[in-house]
Amino acid sequence: MDALVSAGLEDFLAAAPRPQRLVMGLLLALARRPRGAALLARMPLAEQAAQATLALGRYDAPAVARPLGWDAAAVVARGRELRRAEGRP
Amino acid sequence: MTDVLEADFCVIGAGAGGAVTAAELAEAGARVVVLEQGPSHDADEFSARPPEMLARLYRDGGQTVTLGAPPILLPLGRGVGGTTLVNSGTCFRTPSHVLERWAEEFGLELDETSLRPCFERVERSLSVAEVTPELAGANAAVARRGAERLGWSHGYLRRNARGCVGSGVCVFGCPTSAKQHTGITYIPRALAAGARLFTGADAREILVRGGRARGVLARMPSGRTLEVRAPTVIVACGTVHTPLLLRRSRLPDDSAQRGRNLALHPATAAFALMDEPVDMARGVPQSFYVDEFAGEGIMFEGVAGPPAYAAMSLPLTGEAHARAMADYRRLAQFGLMVSDESRGRVGTLAGRPVIRYSLCERDLAKFRHGLARLEELFLAAGARQVHLPLPAGVRPADATARDLKLMAFHPLGTARAHARAGHGVVDGELAHHGLSGVYVADGSVVPSALGVNPQLTIMALATRLAFHLLGTSVPDRAVDPRAPDAQPDDEEATCRS
Repeated sequence: MDALVSAGLEDFLAAAPRPQRLVMGLLLALARRPRGAALLARMPLAEQAAQATLALGRYDAPAVARPLGWDAAAVVARGRELRRAEGRP
Repeated sequence: MTDVLEADFCVIGAGAGGAVTAAELAEAGARVVVLEQGPSHDADEFSARPPEMLARLYRDGGQTVTLGAPPILLPLGRGVGGTTLVNSGTCFRTPSHVLERWAEEFGLELDETSLRPCFERVERSLSVAEVTPELAGANAAVARRGAERLGWSHGYLRRNARGCVGSGVCVFGCPTSAKQHTGITYIPRALAAGARLFTGADAREILVRGGRARGVLARMPSGRTLEVRAPTVIVACGTVHTPLLLRRSRLPDDSAQRGRNLALHPATAAFALMDEPVDMARGVPQSFYVDEFAGEGIMFEGVAGPPAYAAMSLPLTGEAHARAMADYRRLAQFGLMVSDESRGRVGTLAGRPVIRYSLCERDLAKFRHGLARLEELFLAAGARQVHLPLPAGVRPADATARDLKLMAFHPLGTARAHARAGHGVVDGELAHHGLSGVYVADGSVVPSALGVNPQLTIMALATRLAFHLLGTSVPDRAVDPRAPDAQPDDEEATCRS
């Protein structure tokens, strides 16, 4: 897996209902290729869905998110510490 | 093979409505069985990573989409806690003008006075308190500055949170368990009082004989069938799935309203590039509102999240998207929600829910007006650039329904309450018309859009139902300060920075 793409993207795509999963798989395949992207550009709704999904995966990757000030691991660690210290569920 | 259980009450669903009903009934000594289709979630597994959490905490990975113009993304929670696990925690009581409309139009005997003890009881149980400006963060400060400069009505939101530190991921599983969703409040109370909870239990049929409820059949993860024999069944599967279960159970529908009247509170959001650092995910994402246009059915509420969330919702593509995301730390975001007059319906295709909903002209006009005002809000706050959720070159006044990029979080109305059997699925006590022992306690009974987030309304109605079933009134501490309560209210109830 590319370090600049979140591993969680696969889980996200797999969780979609089957028809959407198939359509999104096709759209992402197009979006990742220059000629496919040009084709998608003629279908704004489809392009928007594909680009949004790719962006979700890209900006979730720690290597991309950390320079933008977001460290998910630190947020989770702080949460765990607080829950344990205060006996929260 | 079928396993059989006996109970006084079988509650289907452990979200806002089901969990509340189950806890109140169990604490009164009733034998309660709760059937929840999804899993139980452990806060130790919350990663603050949007794609992973969407897949785990949401039905269909949060990718439920309505069919119509425009298609609308409708994320729904799945599991113990239901959508309360993944909502922003905003708590509004039902507006008085909405209650008045329900009385006039639907014959429902609900008013502020009679519901007050229900709201107060829920608010104490969930530690509802107003967000502090410090905890609200810089994203809220941007909206506040704009509203103050324009002289628009605004305020900090009330939320169900205890010991919140502003992790910024309410909708992806609170890592501090500060958000008081029903999975860590009402459900533990129900279990402590002896209720039995079954997760992974797919309720297939409400059993009815001779016009009376007899119980529920559920398919269990093991492949076995569980029959819960109970004279009273409370359906709380949520607005999308409740009408489907009622239909699958072949319950009467003389009103022909089952699955209809779907309201959604369609919503969208705009981004703004500010001069100062915003770091939108630091603080409570939904902490501030602007209700200047609430009378027109337009509400502005905060939204925010980590870069992955922002990148997914930023209405740009290609280089423009990359440039805007490079400035993520200076991006602010605010949402616009419409109290809709459009109505959709829920049906099935090959066993899956199909949700049809198209925006009517009046709601489209609200979006046109609201987006123009949202841009005005950001510009008044000093935004360098505003990114509206519209295609390039389309101004709000010219937007068509298909130009809008919409989401919705508040499905309501598909088993609407109406005093008259010919007009609603349940009556004013949430009892299924034409049957004995079947009740509904989720957003599906809410007969119209509220214009505000609905979780408190659903929970108050569920509280009212539980005490109705118990044959007692909701304890009213305004009348009797010694009235029993689930949570002492001298405990810390406010968020802390």
